[in-house]
Amino acid sequence: MTLLECRNIHKTYGHGVATVPAVRGVDMQLERGETLGLVGESGCGKTTLGRVIVGLNAPTSGKVVFDGEDVSGRLHEPEFRRRVQMVFQHPQSSLNPRFRVSTTLREPAILLTSMRNEELGQQIEQTLRLVGLGIEYQTKKPKQLSGGQLQRVAIARALMSSPDLIVLDEPTSSLDQSIRSRIIALLKDIQERRQVSYLFISHDLSTVRKIAHRVAVMYLGRIVEVSETEALFNDPQHPYTQALLSAVPSIDPGDRSERIILRGETPSPTALPVGCSFQDRCELVHARCGVEAPLLQETGPARHVECFAVQ
Amino acid sequence: MRLFEVEALTVGITGSPFPILREVSFYVEPGEVLALVGESGSGKTMTALAAMGLLPFGIEMTGGDVRLEGDSLVRTGGTVERSAAQMSMIFQHPTSALNPTMRVGHQVGRVIQINQRLGRTQSLEAAVELLKHVGIPGAKRVARNFPHQLSGGMCQRVMIAMAVACQPRLLIADEPTTALDVTVQAQIFDLIKSLVSEIGCGVLFITHDLGAVAEMADRVAVMYGGQVMEESPVRDLLAKPRHPYTRYLLESVVREVDHRVEDIGVDFALTGCRFGHRCPYVHEKCNGFPPLVEISPSRRVSCFLRTEELR
Repeated sequence: MTLLECRNIHKTYGHGVATVPAVRGVDMQLERGETLGLVGESGCGKTTLGRVIVGLNAPTSGKVVFDGEDVSGRLHEPEFRRRVQMVFQHPQSSLNPRFRVSTTLREPAILLTSMRNEELGQQIEQTLRLVGLGIEYQTKKPKQLSGGQLQRVAIARALMSSPDLIVLDEPTSSLDQSIRSRIIALLKDIQERRQVSYLFISHDLSTVRKIAHRVAVMYLGRIVEVSETEALFNDPQHPYTQALLSAVPSIDPGDRSERIILRGETPSPTALPVGCSFQDRCELVHARCGVEAPLLQETGPARHVECFAVQ
Repeated sequence: MRLFEVEALTVGITGSPFPILREVSFYVEPGEVLALVGESGSGKTMTALAAMGLLPFGIEMTGGDVRLEGDSLVRTGGTVERSAAQMSMIFQHPTSALNPTMRVGHQVGRVIQINQRLGRTQSLEAAVELLKHVGIPGAKRVARNFPHQLSGGMCQRVMIAMAVACQPRLLIADEPTTALDVTVQAQIFDLIKSLVSEIGCGVLFITHDLGAVAEMADRVAVMYGGQVMEESPVRDLLAKPRHPYTRYLLESVVREVDHRVEDIGVDFALTGCRFGHRCPYVHEKCNGFPPLVEISPSRRVSCFLRTEELR
């Protein structure tokens, strides 16, 4: 069953000549209990899209449909907030340094749920155990914890209101490799127990491959390809996805295929070309790409690609 | 003759009995890329700074030797002296390593002006040539820009131009692509490789990413807690890690891990083997300091487990 649906979301920052279209018409669905990986390079609009979904930024146009209801104008309502939570990139800066862990965890429950006193205390202990921290962590302050422990607290805070959807914005990119793997395993375990959906935003493709059921690739504010994870990694179809995947260095010596090295840099979002936004760097470019922009179209089972050459 | 050799390098905080780097030894052959890999806090960058003679105030070299082409660079009082034609360094964050108040052409020009004793105009011309050479489109125009006007990838190209301006014998690259996107990372790796084969210098390549090691390096030294754990050709290390820490590190990349294991983070044993309290094979002997022992030609491991057990 579809939990979240984005319909033609646009988000533009700035006014007049200085407008930056960060998200340019995104359509996507997220099922209940599913993890959708949202990957792309810096500046592609993935964080903006995540913030629009949790209601931290209002979309310029387009609809967010949550559990069958249009919530676009009601993103500030407590009931929606309870059901959609977010985990940020740097736990060090997203946790209040003066709050003990227990206070941090109590806040969302008091604001968004009717839990009080004993029930709340139990919920805090239960959630801490769920994220793999002992109840003795309740009295600690952020500076006493390591990066991995802080991220566990941040995940616990998101879980306190028993949400249906958690938007995870680069939750592991500030962590070391060994800690990163454990956080991923933890998130999977929580998903199994609680049936929560994740929108997992990351630029780290190998991490996304470990956790996501489906992956959406963003480039310059648009989703250019969306597919089931293994299908995407084994057979990327959009030329940008191909370049992106081939750029990831692999430790497997058997995986020494030709690197696709992209020309130049991502064009500035303030001066986008007419037609396909990837045309200047694309190997498969032809006349039509400079005239009209391709749209996301189905190319296979559960697979959509935004490219004329593939369609 | 070895191009670059670090022998039993020990670095500590002035007045503290606990060393930050403990008898770090490795070497770089001419034309070779040696990767220094480890998690945050393992002492990779500190090793590079010590070798460059750039240790911060209050931290000093207390023992060991740094040799370039057979000549010791260590002067009395533990300071390292080297010229730009001998060794140069590419730093991790290109945007903060460049001077924000100087035009980039001028910054590259200064390196040439000082080291090759050319005039101001001449060195600026040479700088523009160099910028062109590192793949900056419109180098003449970009030379007049300030760092904040350039993207991260472009800034890193400027950094690289500065580092290779005097054709050094050894290039130290400290996480040169950590701040960059993967497609830009692929471009930068390509550039470093082609420049290295052109100049014929050796490279000390510092990274935390094992994929980058497999991509770039010929040999690798694994660090943990300021100690070299294992030194080996890349192919052999990835195929068959010997040291318990190396195994742990590789497994965290490849395999599913148990998320219930406590995150330890940066926490090293101060006496004995630095990996002692996390090592599954720990025994009484580990309270002493394990020396780096050759277990096969070109392969050294710092562990008390007997050679046969490490196989």
